[in-house]
This record gives sequence, C-alpha cells and structure tokens, in this order.
Amino acid sequence: MSAAERATVFAETMTGTVRLRGEDADRPIRADLTVRCGTLMLPHRTTPARATGRVRIAGRADDTRAAGTLEISPLARRRIHYRITFSLDGRPCVLEGWKSIGLRRPLASLTVLPFTLTREGSPDPVGTGVLRFRTTTALGPFLASMRFPRRDEARAAWAPRSTGTPGRTEVWYTTATDPATGTGLWLHHEVVTPAGSGSPYAHGWAAVFPGKGADPVVHARFGPVPWPPEPSGGFTAAGVEAVPGRLRGTAGPLSWDLTEECGDDGPLYTFPRWSWRRPLLPAAQIVPSPRAHYTGVVRHGPDRLELRRAPGASARIYGHGNARRWAWLHADLGGGDVLEVVAAVSMRPGLDRLPPLVFLRLRKDGRVWPRGGLRSAIGWAGRGRFRADLGLPEWTVTGRAGRRRVTVRVTQHADRTLELGYTDPDGSPATCRNSETADARVVLERRGRGGWRTEAEWTLDGTAHAEVGDR
Amino acid sequence: MSSTAVRGLVAALLADEGGGWPAAVPDRVGRLLASMPAPARHGFTAAAAAVDACATARTGRRLARLTPAERETVLTRLAGLPGAAALLDVVKVPVLLAAGTERMLHAGAAAPPPAAPEDPPLDCVPSAHWPDRSRADAVVIGSGASGAVAARTLARAGLRVLVLEEGRRHSTAEFGRRAPLDRFAELYRDGGATVALGAPPLLIPTGRAVGGTTVVNSGTCYRTPDHVLARWRSRSGLHDLADATAFGARLDEVERMLRVAVQPLDVLGRNGTLALAGARELGWRAGPLRRNAPGCRGSCQCVVGCPAGAKQSVQLSVLPEACAAGARIVTEASVRRILTEPDRPGGPVACGVAVRRPDGTELEILSPLVVVAAGALQSPLLLRRSGLGRHPRIGRNLAVHPATSVAGRFAEPVDDGGPAVLQSAGVEELHGDGILIEATAPPPGMGSFVLPGVGRELRYELEQSGRLATFGAMIADRPGGRVLGRERGVLRYDLHPRDARRLLRSVRAMGELLLAAGAEEVLTGVPAAPGARTLVELDAILADVTVRRLHLSAFHPTGTVALGADAATAPAHPDGRLRGVRGVYVADASGLPSCPEVNPQLSIMAVALTVAQAAGASVSG
Repeated sequence: MSAAERATVFAETMTGTVRLRGEDADRPIRADLTVRCGTLMLPHRTTPARATGRVRIAGRADDTRAAGTLEISPLARRRIHYRITFSLDGRPCVLEGWKSIGLRRPLASLTVLPFTLTREGSPDPVGTGVLRFRTTTALGPFLASMRFPRRDEARAAWAPRSTGTPGRTEVWYTTATDPATGTGLWLHHEVVTPAGSGSPYAHGWAAVFPGKGADPVVHARFGPVPWPPEPSGGFTAAGVEAVPGRLRGTAGPLSWDLTEECGDDGPLYTFPRWSWRRPLLPAAQIVPSPRAHYTGVVRHGPDRLELRRAPGASARIYGHGNARRWAWLHADLGGGDVLEVVAAVSMRPGLDRLPPLVFLRLRKDGRVWPRGGLRSAIGWAGRGRFRADLGLPEWTVTGRAGRRRVTVRVTQHADRTLELGYTDPDGSPATCRNSETADARVVLERRGRGGWRTEAEWTLDGTAHAEVGDR
Repeated sequence: MSSTAVRGLVAALLADEGGGWPAAVPDRVGRLLASMPAPARHGFTAAAAAVDACATARTGRRLARLTPAERETVLTRLAGLPGAAALLDVVKVPVLLAAGTERMLHAGAAAPPPAAPEDPPLDCVPSAHWPDRSRADAVVIGSGASGAVAARTLARAGLRVLVLEEGRRHSTAEFGRRAPLDRFAELYRDGGATVALGAPPLLIPTGRAVGGTTVVNSGTCYRTPDHVLARWRSRSGLHDLADATAFGARLDEVERMLRVAVQPLDVLGRNGTLALAGARELGWRAGPLRRNAPGCRGSCQCVVGCPAGAKQSVQLSVLPEACAAGARIVTEASVRRILTEPDRPGGPVACGVAVRRPDGTELEILSPLVVVAAGALQSPLLLRRSGLGRHPRIGRNLAVHPATSVAGRFAEPVDDGGPAVLQSAGVEELHGDGILIEATAPPPGMGSFVLPGVGRELRYELEQSGRLATFGAMIADRPGGRVLGRERGVLRYDLHPRDARRLLRSVRAMGELLLAAGAEEVLTGVPAAPGARTLVELDAILADVTVRRLHLSAFHPTGTVALGADAATAPAHPDGRLRGVRGVYVADASGLPSCPEVNPQLSIMAVALTVAQAAGASVSG
C-alpha cells in the first residue's frame, strides 16, 4: 500500500496556559483536536493537515467548532505548525504556533507548543501562551486514535457499480435544502437490472418540497431508458446527469442544473465499509458527500428556485432491492456534524423476522460514532443493538454504544411527504414516503459519574431528509 | 571586586601612592574586565598573577603589599625584559581606560551633560516581552547602518518589518547621565575587546546596540570613491549596483537621511586645527571632515554615544523613519539561526529566524524574507549556524582598515576643556596610496594610542595627556582576514606586507604632520622607542621598527559574504540574494566586495538601500 493511498487521522489533546491581553494572570487552556491528513504522514516529509475540534480557555472561550490547519514536518522543516481558528468572546480568534523540533531536547520540542492569539486581520496579539502535550495522560489516547485509512475519494464512490448481474438495483440520490426558502429537493437516479432476462434500464425522478408545506410537493419522473451509460463516472441517461460535481437534467416540468461542492470530510459509510466493497449484504448505502453544497437553478414550469450553497448530501445504494420495511434519515446538524440513519427489515427469508436493523452513523467533531460499522445494527450478538420504532408520521431510533446514547425522533408531516411507488429488480412493488422537509430531534447523551448528561442536542425544523417505506 | 594581584598591578602601573583617583581604578578595571570575553579576562588576570609572582619571587611580598618605590623598582626591571615589555603594553590598555575615566571624574572634567534633546520615537520591544511565536513579512537581522536602511525601505514598501537587535536601546539622555567607560563596556561587543588573531593581532571594536556601530562611530561620512566603485564593477561584476550614477543617487539619499555636512570649524577643537595647520604647513590636502552631526557641540564622546544627540546615528535618523512606516524593533534578541524549509520545490527557502533571549529562552518568527544585516563579523557565523555557510568564500575575504595612532606633545594644552570634535579633520594627501589620516581624539584611554612607560613615567604621561594631539591613520588593505567558527567566532587576519609598509609609512606621515604643526615631540607608541623630537629621529626609530611593534587597531570590517557575479567567488548574487537559498538577502558590510578605502557608513547604507529595494521587489513581485 503506497503512501498516496492512505490518509492519516489522529486525535491530540493539549493543555496549558494562556495570558490574555489586559490580564495579569494566566488562564488554563485546552485544545482537543482531530487531525486529518490527506496522505500518509511521514516524518521526513511535510504533510499538510486539517484540524477540527474544541478549544477551551477557562472563563473566556469554549468553542466546539474550532477548525484550522496543521503543517506537520518534524524532520524536513523541524516544525509542526498549528493554525486554529476559534471563537474567543464571540469573535473569531486565531491560535497560531508551532512546535520547533530540536535534537537537543527532542521530547520537549515535540510536545511544547508556544502560541500566539491574534484577531483576524490584526497582527497585534491578544494573548500568548503555551500548550503542552502531556505524555503521561495524552500519549495513550493519541496513539490509540492513530488511523491510516484508505483515501476515499468521493469521485470514486460515484462510479457505477453495476456489472450486468441480474437482480440488482443501483441508486444515486441527492437531497438538499434551500436555506433561503426552506425548500427541499430530491433527485433520484436509479439503474435496475431486472432479475431474469430483462435488460438494465435507467430511470428516476425529481421532487421539490416547498418549505413548511406552503405548496404541495411537486415531482416528476424521467426514463426508463436503456442502460449502460456513456462513460461519465456517474449516472448519465435520458438526458439526466449525476456525476461528481454536477447534477443536471429534465423530468417533465422540472429541470435542474446544479454544481456540487462536496466537503473534504470524506465519505460516510452508513453500512460497514466492507459491505460497500463486497456486496455481501442485501444492500448497502454510502454517502460520498455527506456535507455538500449545491448551487444552481431548479425550474418548475414558470417557477424558478435559485440555490446558493444549499446544504445537502449525495448518497449511493447498491443491492438486491428494497427492504421489506425501512426508514432513512439524513440530518445535517450544522458545524460539520452530520447524522445518517438507515433502519431496515430485510426481504431475505429468516432475516425478515428480525426487528429493524439500525445502521446509525453520527459524525461529530470529525469523528464517527459508533466506531464499529455493525455496532448499531447487531450490538454484541444482538445485545445492545440500536432499536427503531418505525411508523408515520413519527418514527424513532434509540441506541447506546460505549458511554454515549442517542435518541432520534423524526416527524414526517403528511402534507410535506411524497408517496412514491418503487419497483424491485424482481418486479415486486414497494411504497416509499419521503419528505425532504421533515422535522427531527436528536439528543446525544454521555454517561459520566453523575449519570447521563446531555452532550449535544439538535432540533431540525423542516431541514431533515427522511423516508419511510414498506410493502 | 578585583583580585589582590590586579590591585597590585594597577597600583604599580599607575604609581599609586595612596589616595586620589588611582584608588578607584582597580574596581573600575574589574567591572571592565567583567564585560570582556573570557579569554581576554583570563589573559589579563593571568598577566596580573604573573607580575605578582615575579614581585613575590623578587621581594618575598606580593605586589600590593610593596611600597610605591618597591613597586616601581619591580615594574621597571620587568619592563626592561624584552617579552615582558610587550606584555605590559597589552595589560596597560584596560588600565589606561579605567584610569582615564577615573582621572576625568576626579578632576571634574566631565562637563555637565548637555541638555539632551528628546530622541525621536522608536517602536522598541525587549525580546522578553515579545511572543514566542509570531509572523512578519520581513525580518531584518541587525539594526545598524544597513539594517536600519533595509527596515526603512521594506517598511515603506508596505511590508510588516521586524528588526532584531542583539543589544538594547540607549537614549541620548542616558548617554548624558553615564560615565564614558560605563557606556563603553555596554555599547561594544565583547567590551570592545574583539581581537583578530594574527601577526600582529588587531583590535576590532564593533558596536552592539540599537543603531549598531553607528552609535559608536565617529560620524565621519565619506562618499564611496569612484575608483572603488569601478573596481566593484570590473572585478565583481556589480555593474548595476555600483553604477556611478545610480550609486551616487543612493549616496545622495543616504546623505539626506543622515543630514551629512562639512563639520563647522567653531567646535572643531585644537586636535583638528593642529592637523589642518600641519597640513597647511606641508601643503597637503586636508580639511574638516564631512559628518552626520549637524549642531555638534564638541562633546568629543562619539565613540561612546553622542550625549548631545547631534550625531545622526541611525537610531536617531533612519530607524525612526522605519518605525513611522510600521517597522518594529525587538531588542536584546540574539538571532541563533535562519530557519529554512529545505524540502521546497526548487531548493531551500528561508522561512524565518530563531532568536535567543538574554535568559536563554528562544522565540521564533516566521517570515518569507530574511535580510542579514548583522555586520561582517557576525553574518558569516549566523549563516554557518543556519546551515547556509556552505559556500567556501563565506567568512573569507575579510577586509578591515588597519589603523594606528601617533600622538604629538605640544607646549600648549591641546585639550583645553573646550568643545572638540572627536574625529575632526581629514588629511587626504596620501589617500591615493591607500593612507587616510584623520585627527582623532577619543576620550581618555579609548584610542588606539597607548601612552608610553610604566609607573611614574606612565603616571606623568597620564597627567600630561592634555597636551597631546592624536592623529590616526587607516590603511586600505588587501582582504586578508577570515571569520571562523559558528558561535562566538574566531577572527584571523594576516596583514599583507604591502599594508605593513603602508602602516609604517603612515606613522612617519603623521609624525611629519605633528612636527609641522609645532609638536615638541612625537610619541610613536612603540615601547622601545617612544619619542622623537625631529623627523630624522623619527626616521631612525622607524628604520628599526617592524609593524608588529606598533599598536594596531582595525575598523570597518567588510567583505565576508561578498556580492558578486561569479558564483565561485561570491557567496551572494549581485542583487544581494544569498546563493543556495531563496529569501535571504545580504544587505550589510559583509556584502561589500572589497575594502571601501574610506569610512564606510555611507557606502554600506547605499548598498543596503539597493539590496533592500531588490528584496522588497522580490516579495511584492
């Protein structure tokens, strides 16, 4: 495995003191950072990295959305440079400093980070201090957090998976919410290779969900047309295109032309990562662009919806067909956090008697929880699995892993929900009820000495993307 | 507190008979030694111990316990020995420094300090108050003549400039309050005891303060001679930099910055007027020097900081303009190394500097542009510490102005207590032969002239020193020095035989000048033959004297990171870029390709102006 194919991820916690301007005493400061390098971190090279996390200064700052960059070059430049922007007294502040690596005191130079705090645009420091990486307490978690994941290119995840095997369905779908009007958008592109002798065909639909049910949901289908596609790296059929960075097409009175800016967080594997590479499960879903932004125009007859960096996501599904019963949620929680939930009951004999298997992935502060891909679905041999209570207009998912537990409550108002018929590769029908303007409430709790405490709480008012299906 | 041996030696040298100003000299010597580098300090202490041991061996008692007469006997006998005489001559230097100061204080000769004008504002921050990590658009290492010009040029180009200075800021008011010797020890690197090893060894004093050596120079401003510029063009390929017209325009600008003008005669002092009188008598070309000291009041303390604020050292003239344009000065900041990024495409790139504070802690400043202006003796060390000293010519090509002094005893007091300019008149008759004579009368003990004799004889000379006129001559040398090492550095300078002949010739010329001006006796400073009353006597003395017997100093070190078109011989490009790294510019005296043959402040500043403009253009372009 070459360095180019691996990324590096680690978490680093540093503590220290800072002297703010105008004060005559030091304050404690703590930085909990998750650092991601796009390549394998090699000590003799210079590796640029992104850092996200939390910066706290006692009594003055506690920003869980601190973000910035690192330049890791312990040998080549003898420097590990940090530049983190966080909120101090409600205003952006830049923490900049570097560990200066020296051979005389290698440990101290690798662990001591002198820094200066400045306001954006002003060179005068608002504070100076020193952060230290405490080897006694922080080295263990640091080493345990070190990961060298394969580099997952969103672009690669868009490529068609279908190899002509009968009885497969493959989906590219994109959902977005216009921040100006609250309007939800759903673009669904699907390739079905029928079970038996039929030829693969492509079809799909687009739907616009006016905000808060101001108007009825509008939707229109395109296709079916024969597949295979032209080589484009994504879905291209019937004049509709869904390729990395670009979505455009026409379906009845609806037409759209959007560009996608996917964030650099990397794909979110709702199902275990291996299940996407090796299709052993009945179906698997992946979100190549979990925090994307869409810019462009959606036309509906005379109406025109201008999207300007509308937050949303693009996802992919590949498998044998739809589940017996299922629910799906995509929730952009803001600040870089995102929640993806799929709860499904399989069509396979035997598996169809099980309660819904819940695949829940919460990316918070740059880290995904639960860590194991199957943890939420099957727990420890069934014990401790996450539970779903599927229904309409409200469905819930609850679960606990490690010292955290989550409660997700989704509400799909009938007037903002679109009911559509699906057809499996084997021809059997299913019904989906989708809302791109759903409400959701997510509560994340952490267990400490005093019992459960709320760690984070999100309420999405008309900006959640959800779906419930059955037969 | 000085040791018994040192106290005994001082008492013997100055014929201390108890009481009076000599009693305070040992302690002052002790304080002076404390500011000197360890080798000089230990050398002096060892010499004092050796003299003390001789006294003990001869009399059974230590030097300090002998009576004045016994001390005189011991010392006179010792001075009669060939090797010991030379040793005593070296030992006399710090003692005379301290004695001169004490005598001046005792006599109340120190005129009340002139009302010091308020210095122009500078944005100075001690390194202790500077953050450990910071950024700048450009870092200038050194705040002397070249650093100030570079900072001013870059700041006016809109860059955020930080000037890093190893010394601290000294105000004009402070110069007025403190005794010259107290300032001397602090204003000079190594307490003024920087020595270039060689035969003979040379004392090379350099300043260390905000303003660099311009704080302690004599303020003499010569424009770069045309033949020097022509040599830089033809031999070093500096066709653009040393273009006569362009360089002349830069010299004009520098002169405007420094308010250079011919020194008026009203405060010139007798030392200068005697030089002019002697030259007039001989028909030699001479005149008052051009100086950057408008309104000079003749305090005669240029070499320890002008207490009147008249001398336009760069901390009073150029640096305020740099600060007004946004530059900041970090003082007491010793730059340890230039930081580089060796893994950049296209080769290493400078990215900042690491700086040591007086308490030993370090700070770092990131900057894409680093201007080296640490002086010709320090810049090579800095580059070597930074791993940038691989060019074989870095540290070589050291040119200085070897200099010697001659005094003339006059019937009338020369130092009449009135105003006098320290370096007042220039005699350029022999400049074509590489000899520039300047009438130079530094504060007691601070010149390169060493009074002859020991004991009572030395005491007499000291008491009569007010009747001495002192001239100095400096030689345009062939670069023969090297700066060795990485940290403190060792200087090596081999005087070229041609330059040795020039020095001896300059001694004769100064003697001739003094005699023409009416001197009763010319004091050569040579221990074996201290005085001559006629030119014939002087010639007879000089016929037996080699250059090793002279007391030599050297000034104006240049050329250790020379600019030039030939990559094999010049470590820096003609526009100042250091070869082998991007983002480092050499703007100081080390960039001068060869000896400028005159007091070099204007030349250095004009070169710095050119280099800084190129550096600024490289960033903005």
